[in-house]
Amino acid sequence: MRVSRSIVLSLSLSFLALGAGCGSSVSDPPAPPPCDEACKDGVALKALRETMKLAFNLTLQGKPVGEHDETTPCPLGGSARVFGSATSNALQGATEVKLTYVLTDCRYLFKDDDAEDNYAMMISGTMTQEGILAVQPSATSALVMKGESMKLIGTVYDPPLEYAADCPIELGQNGNKLTGKICGRDAFSDL
Amino acid sequence: MHRRAAFLARTFAFALACVVPSVAAAQPAEPARPGPAAPAGVPVAPPTLLSDPDVPYPDGATGDATVIVVLVVGEDGAVRSATPEGADEPFLGAAAAAARAWRFEPARRGETPVAARIKIAITFRAPVVKEPEPEAEPEPEPEPAATPGKPAPRRPRERPQEVRVRGAREPGRTVSLSRTEVRQIPGAFGDPFRAVEIMPGVTPIVSGLPFFFVRGAPPGNVGYYLDGVRIPLLFHVGAGPSVVHPGLVQRVDLYPGGYPARFGRFSGGIVSGETAPPLDRPHGEYNLRLFDAGAMIETPFGPKNRGSVLLGGRYSYTAFLLTQIASDTLLDYWDYQGRASYDLTPDDRISVFAFGSYDYLGQRTATQTITLFGTEFHRVDLRYDRKLGDKGAMRVAVTTGFDRSRAQEDRYVRDRVLGARTEWTYYADPRVLLRAGTDLQVDSYDVQVVSGTLAPSVARVASYFPSRTDLAFGARADAVVAVAKGFEVTPGARVDMFASDGATALGVDPRLAMRTEVTQDVRVLSALGIAHQPPSFVVPVPGFQPGGLRGGLQKAYQTALGVEADLFEAITGTATVFHNAFYDMSDPLGTSPPQLSGCAPGTFPTDTLAGDRTRTSGGFGGGGSATCGVPRFPPGTIGPDRSGGGQQGADSRGTQTAANAFEVRTRGEAIGLELFLKKKLTSRIGGFLSYTLSRSTRTYEGRSYVATFDRTHVLNTALAFDLGKNWRAGTRFTFYTGLPKAPDPTDDATRLQPFYRVDLRLEKRWQLSRTAWISGVAEWLNATLSKEAVATTCTLGGCQAQLIGPVTIPSVGVEGGF
Repeated sequence: MRVSRSIVLSLSLSFLALGAGCGSSVSDPPAPPPCDEACKDGVALKALRETMKLAFNLTLQGKPVGEHDETTPCPLGGSARVFGSATSNALQGATEVKLTYVLTDCRYLFKDDDAEDNYAMMISGTMTQEGILAVQPSATSALVMKGESMKLIGTVYDPPLEYAADCPIELGQNGNKLTGKICGRDAFSDL
Repeated sequence: MHRRAAFLARTFAFALACVVPSVAAAQPAEPARPGPAAPAGVPVAPPTLLSDPDVPYPDGATGDATVIVVLVVGEDGAVRSATPEGADEPFLGAAAAAARAWRFEPARRGETPVAARIKIAITFRAPVVKEPEPEAEPEPEPEPAATPGKPAPRRPRERPQEVRVRGAREPGRTVSLSRTEVRQIPGAFGDPFRAVEIMPGVTPIVSGLPFFFVRGAPPGNVGYYLDGVRIPLLFHVGAGPSVVHPGLVQRVDLYPGGYPARFGRFSGGIVSGETAPPLDRPHGEYNLRLFDAGAMIETPFGPKNRGSVLLGGRYSYTAFLLTQIASDTLLDYWDYQGRASYDLTPDDRISVFAFGSYDYLGQRTATQTITLFGTEFHRVDLRYDRKLGDKGAMRVAVTTGFDRSRAQEDRYVRDRVLGARTEWTYYADPRVLLRAGTDLQVDSYDVQVVSGTLAPSVARVASYFPSRTDLAFGARADAVVAVAKGFEVTPGARVDMFASDGATALGVDPRLAMRTEVTQDVRVLSALGIAHQPPSFVVPVPGFQPGGLRGGLQKAYQTALGVEADLFEAITGTATVFHNAFYDMSDPLGTSPPQLSGCAPGTFPTDTLAGDRTRTSGGFGGGGSATCGVPRFPPGTIGPDRSGGGQQGADSRGTQTAANAFEVRTRGEAIGLELFLKKKLTSRIGGFLSYTLSRSTRTYEGRSYVATFDRTHVLNTALAFDLGKNWRAGTRFTFYTGLPKAPDPTDDATRLQPFYRVDLRLEKRWQLSRTAWISGVAEWLNATLSKEAVATTCTLGGCQAQLIGPVTIPSVGVEGGF
């Protein structure tokens, strides 16, 4: 949302200090609920997607549109190779991709106040990615990603819980929603 | 001069015969007391009026009248006595009351001040003629003075020299408007406080919205007073009529800077209203409009009419009207005023003045009514006034009050107010008027905002409003010193101490004003001063005073220099240059530099899924959008994967930034030129021209930018004219420069498009009896249906001005009085 005169003005005139944000529900953080298998799969799904995102941005971002084959080290060890085609429309803020990611012991982690955002994962395997990467809200990310044999080892959640998977993974992204299957199990997450 | 006039309260003074000892000899009926050191044979210079000569046309009066007031002016310049004659009430009372408060440069024989008896003719002109009369007739020749013991003549019987009495505008004041004039201003709806927007130095936020920047200061830094009592909310539902019945307000003055020491605790300006004094006969006023109805009545009581009681109020039936249109919406407002006074002795008066207001905006659901907006305030002011002979006066007053503002989910802010003040004026010397006073106010705030359910940034803002007790104490003094003939200096100072939520602060505000007569018709006025103010909310809202003095006091250095001239055809003109510097200013409205609504093509909102939070182009003072990032990739390259930009919804960036704006303190500066020309609107053909050329800037974190609501040119001009047969028409033209524009790749303009509008007014009056009248009034604000640009909205297809409106307010109503 954009701040403007009208926002500031309406803030005052409508007693924003009392009334705004009524729809929000930010309160003291409750004790984290237990994280079951579905919960752990969701965090793992997110870890995989964000590792791919990192690999993309490390390799292809800013490169001329077209065919590429780039390899980059992962921040915490391992490597990621990205190859295939990517074509961006800067005006619309959308990038059409048909890429393959080869992750080799690629390590990545994320820490946050939200227990379900936390993970430390090492990922190996090959994932394909097809669809649209949105850069502006007028274009929504729409991606299909698949890996026939993916290996994920590490921890998820906070406090950390051990996690391991070595199986096919299917993943779809619609906007910031992730939906997929890990080892045949349904998994969901938000980016 | 024309008898047939639609004039109201036009005052002329014919002074004359400055009759000091020698002249007095020629008028045995009016012996003057010789000055103690007056050498015989030395010519006597007549006294010169230093006070404002305007005498408002008395409420309930009809027709024209000329009152001859015999004044005895003491050696100290004070009016010892004022004896009116030559007309009927209420003209006599109004003229005498005004004259008794005047101040003169005393008559002099040589260098020695001497007492003098003079006669002054005050001519009242009714706003609308009763019947058509012949065109102008010559001014009647004044006749010789009345013989003592005989009935008072209707006209002055001595041949006066017509002298246009020179007024004495206080240097810190720009414009004073009487209510009778305000009634003739189209678009003001007869409301004296709404007429503030036409005054020079005043910059509107949005057309029709009665909140203003004054010489660069935001609305929250402008204080509104009525008879010295602060009004916490001036307009119903933020944009409606003022909360005080117009019939009660005699005049409104604007002090935009360098104001007298009696005003403090506001660093941006003072709007001061004065109530009309009691009359010695019953009178009243009423109005019925499309949206509301109001009435006011006052009657004297007791022996020799020593007491008076006034009741007034207004009620809006918009709730009923809205129900017919939108059954789920509730809008309601009302206000009340009451005043009672009693003269214990000729020098002692006690009085009580109560007023209050209530506003409510709600929404009906199937099961309940949700409060969207509710606010109310109540004040009771108990006063004791005492005249200190001819030397001065004093007042002791105690004020109690209650403020409450409500919002959804039973959130509220309450403030219980208790205050006391003393005021004292005294002529220590014929050339020295001392003024002093103290005031104390205790505010007990009770706040319930349920911050746990608020978004974090809003909760942070809410934390500025804790339950607490605030204390403010001030003392002030100044002296009006006539250093030499035609040169007056007013040094003064006030000291205010503030305590809030464990924090304390001290504001020391020196003031200095000067008035110099260059010629008889030209005066130079200057005023400068420092003003402190605690942190303020965006606009005045009852109970919404930030607590804890976080960020310290705001401070303003105000300077102004102006020329005032009496021009031809009874036109007065002023030209003033000003400079205001603000420090630690809380101005949420003006702090944020102009920003685009939406992201310009090729940029990305940073608070969205795809947003790039690491590449914003600025923040406060950055001259660009805080929430749009530049593109990370140029055409022909591969863009980033921004999946999971995050932070959507829970606390929008817009809310965060607005909250930040509330906390930010900036440095501000405003410089400008103000012009004002006026021929009384109550004249047969009257009007005004008010123009302000200014520039207002803000500086934050070392970066300077034009203030968000800066407008280079603001022009208001109006013309009111008598059409004859008791018809009176008026039109007003308003123009102002567009607001600063955010940088926009599709447009090189630096400002939004300017705005103009035309307001119209038409009145027909019927005289029902000698004192009773009724008028039909049609008024239309923004008859041109002009829309106003307030921002720039961008989409992928480009950017364009975001227009609001047309904000247009037609009004048809009936007004009357007796």
